[in-house]
Amino acid sequence: MKYEVPVLDPAPVSTGSVLLEADNMEIQFNLRGRTLTAVRKASLQLRAGETLAIVGESGSGKSVFAKSFLGMLDRNGRISGGTALYRGVNLAALKTEQQWLAIRGRRIAMVFQDPMTALNPLKPVGEQIREAAALHRTMDKEASRLVALEMLERVGISEPERRYKQYPHEFSGGMRQRAVIATAIACGPEILVCDEPTTALDVTIQAQILELIKNLQRDMGMSVLFITHDLGVVAKMADRIAVMYAGQVVEEGMADEIFYDARHPYTWALLASLPQLGIKGEDLFAISGTPPSLFRTIKGDAFAPRNPLALKVDFEYEPPFFQVSPTHRAKTWLLDPRAPKVEMPETVKRLRQKLKDKKAEDIAASGTGKAKARKETSR
Amino acid sequence: MTAIENAMAKIDIDPALFERAPFDAANAERTGYERYSYWRSTMRTFLKSPVSRFLLVLMLVLTLFSFIYPLLSSLDPNVVSLDLATWNQRPGKGHGIFGTDPLGRDIWARTWYGTRTSLTLAFVIAFFDVGIGMIAGALWGYVKKLDRIMTEIYNVLTNIPQTVFLVLLAYILRPGFWTIVLAMCATGWIGVARFVRNKVITLRDSEFNVASRCLGTPLKRIISMNILPHIVSLVIMQIALTVPYSIGAEVFLGFIGLGLPVKTVSLGNLINLGKNNFLLYPYQLAWPTLVLSAVTISFYIVGNKFADASDPRNHV
Amino acid sequence: MLYQRLLLPLILFSGARMKAYIVKRFFESLLTVFFVVVAVFMLLRFMPTDGYFDRDDYTEMSEAARNAYLRTLGLTDNPLVQLGRFVVNLAQGDWGRSITVYPRTSISEILLEKIPYSLSFGLSAISISIVLGLLMGILMAQYKDGIVDGVGTAYVVLVRAIPSLIYLFLIQIWVTKLLGWPMLFNERNPVSWILPAISLALPNIAWYAIWLRRFMVDEENKDYIKFAVSKGVPRRTIMFKHVLRNAAVPLVQYLPSQILLTVGGSLIIESIYSIPGLGGLLVYAIRQQDNPLVQALVLIFSVLGIFGVFMGDVLMVLVDPRIKLGKAAKSGGHA
Repeated sequence: MKYEVPVLDPAPVSTGSVLLEADNMEIQFNLRGRTLTAVRKASLQLRAGETLAIVGESGSGKSVFAKSFLGMLDRNGRISGGTALYRGVNLAALKTEQQWLAIRGRRIAMVFQDPMTALNPLKPVGEQIREAAALHRTMDKEASRLVALEMLERVGISEPERRYKQYPHEFSGGMRQRAVIATAIACGPEILVCDEPTTALDVTIQAQILELIKNLQRDMGMSVLFITHDLGVVAKMADRIAVMYAGQVVEEGMADEIFYDARHPYTWALLASLPQLGIKGEDLFAISGTPPSLFRTIKGDAFAPRNPLALKVDFEYEPPFFQVSPTHRAKTWLLDPRAPKVEMPETVKRLRQKLKDKKAEDIAASGTGKAKARKETSR
Repeated sequence: MTAIENAMAKIDIDPALFERAPFDAANAERTGYERYSYWRSTMRTFLKSPVSRFLLVLMLVLTLFSFIYPLLSSLDPNVVSLDLATWNQRPGKGHGIFGTDPLGRDIWARTWYGTRTSLTLAFVIAFFDVGIGMIAGALWGYVKKLDRIMTEIYNVLTNIPQTVFLVLLAYILRPGFWTIVLAMCATGWIGVARFVRNKVITLRDSEFNVASRCLGTPLKRIISMNILPHIVSLVIMQIALTVPYSIGAEVFLGFIGLGLPVKTVSLGNLINLGKNNFLLYPYQLAWPTLVLSAVTISFYIVGNKFADASDPRNHV
Repeated sequence: MLYQRLLLPLILFSGARMKAYIVKRFFESLLTVFFVVVAVFMLLRFMPTDGYFDRDDYTEMSEAARNAYLRTLGLTDNPLVQLGRFVVNLAQGDWGRSITVYPRTSISEILLEKIPYSLSFGLSAISISIVLGLLMGILMAQYKDGIVDGVGTAYVVLVRAIPSLIYLFLIQIWVTKLLGWPMLFNERNPVSWILPAISLALPNIAWYAIWLRRFMVDEENKDYIKFAVSKGVPRRTIMFKHVLRNAAVPLVQYLPSQILLTVGGSLIIESIYSIPGLGGLLVYAIRQQDNPLVQALVLIFSVLGIFGVFMGDVLMVLVDPRIKLGKAAKSGGHA
């Protein structure tokens, strides 16, 4: 059977309009003879020029979800339902390598989590970047080498000529991740998927890398899909946030909306878990229980068993999305008009207050340059 | 998408359901558990392939038959016939299932007795290899001071070509059952020891073992869950892979003249005798070869497949 | 000698630390050779002394005459003295004399005559097996779990599980009959060179194929390969530029020793094809119980093996940029 190479719609997508739309995607894995449904009908919209952060704990399906946009699921996995439309092409329907070559790198590129293992240990770093650059453009060896050098400079690696010839083990952790980022952007992608790129790095380096990604996004006009479990990172990076739990997107909205006006009990729980909200002398908040086994079909709301604020209907029927604002929606029965009024927990209210206070401080100090310094030292 | 959601909101749901539900902490913990049994996964992965299943059965059948046959049959593999008419008889028609050899001996009986001898040889070698290797390897892994010396010994022993060493020992100690055992074990044990030593080191320092000890897991459980599986896998693999190796060595030594005594009925001797008459009486080589190949191939493949299956990374 | 010529360029063109490592490994190999020499020597001394006599001589000579003869051979002296003498002689190129195979002929003469044959077959077998073996390994890894992989695996199983004597013998019988080729080796008939060389290569082809496939499959699962895939590198390029190149590194360590060790096979092949080489000589020497000759041959084969391992270690260090030499380098590359 001949699979056609996808023809992407070349029309420019204006900033703010939807670039990639995933609809009701279901991804399953065959594991030891049983079927695991890692992503259970999740939907997502990535808009041009924005940074969308997918937040969730381990096992929420966020990595798998993002990998499916590059066709990089493990061998025992498959997309069993849903669509992922990108420039008129349904990524979920692509099957052969030939088809994916039109997308990978050139349109959608990925930054991996562990820079130690993402680079080929036996090849000079510069060569690996050059490979990426040469793949997606027709140019001779010298030209692609220059592009690679330029990329090294762009990501903030000093002495690019010297560094070009070095091997990955001669780079420090932070520099390696910069090199990985350089490799990813050398392809000139439209969408950059970052799979927890700072998790394996020191906190001090984290801030630098995040700053780098933000700048690159702005300069190169990319859209960034940022996967993380760290809300602190999200606060720095995201324009919009999608919260995932047990294979589904449970809440989606602008960053401000999520931090100030979250509506899903799981988002509340996530926000409440931030250690910065702890009060001296009191126990830190932690979500009780564990995520459900995805080998079984889940009835109702997946978060219900762990949710002290759950309604009886949560155990019976899966809640639909309720629009809170044109840009904000959440998948919880609490937003149904028939549900009792439930206030967000105290801890989350405290967060809201803290954020408001900080913003006020920043505005007040913005003229003196202290704001930038303060931004650097928080988190 | 929105349409479906809106439709759902309008589904007739009993308004009583919109009450707060009681929170059950136990329920919150329950649903995340996934049981994993190392052995069950190993066996599952191993038996997944129809080739493995078939060869496992073949291997067991051949082994059992060769050990049971002497008890069932009255044919004596050693009895030499003085009646010329019974010499070099083709198979069939009252002359045996596999025919007779130049001395009138029944090849069918000799094949099975030979298989039994060869398998016994292999099992004895495996027994000593694993026995000595495991003890040496465990000590090597645990006692740090031994590492330097053992590594030197390892380097020396592995530098020497196995075939040459085998030949040399067989030459010096004169051919025989125990000579071969000694020769093969002398170079075989170090391989097992090295394997065990590596496992011991990774297990000794592994974080999950430290964690187990911190949690107060009793030693018996640590051994049975973390250490024993590796050892049992090792033993099974070693036995399975020693069989083709020792039979090969036996045939080779027989060819050079350093094999088992000619009087002994073994596959090696059968092959070497049979090849002499191959052009005239091909069946004398063909049938024992067939049985030998069945034995070695099944043990070899089963051994390798089991080795793959017992690696937890393949338990998907 | 040959290995001095190979080592020289290595030593000249590498850095200081590399030189130090090479020299260190070389001396370690020498040490191993020494151990082997001592071990072989000692072991042989434990043999019953009838190995030193021609069969007829043994039965005819009297006890006293035998002892006198042994004394002239120096076999009644203290073993350590004998060892010393042996080593000194070896250094001077004197390997002793053969007793039963070529009575009273200098062993070094015999060796020089036989070496060219073993060498030429050995080298041809090496070239054939490297080319075919690596090719097969690549194909098997690339089309993993496909037909090519299946056929390749079947070949490897047959060659590794079935004793080599059997298939080498059958090949000799059937192929010569089928193609009308001569069954025995004859120097002057070029056709008779082909089959032994190919047969000698068969086990090695299997060995290279399966190991290369294994290393390639291991590399394929690594993260950097996944990253390369996400960049949009086509699979074919990944296979050759990343997987194969990286898999070659561990393989390179084992190549030389395999090369130098087509011994077991060569013993059988030289015997069944009547090739006048070292392997056949060993078989004959054993049958004739010619101790000095057996000793010399065992030594040669052992040295070849040791040298092969040494070359492998050096090659590996040259090829892998991650290995840092110096104080961090431990003895040997194996443990």
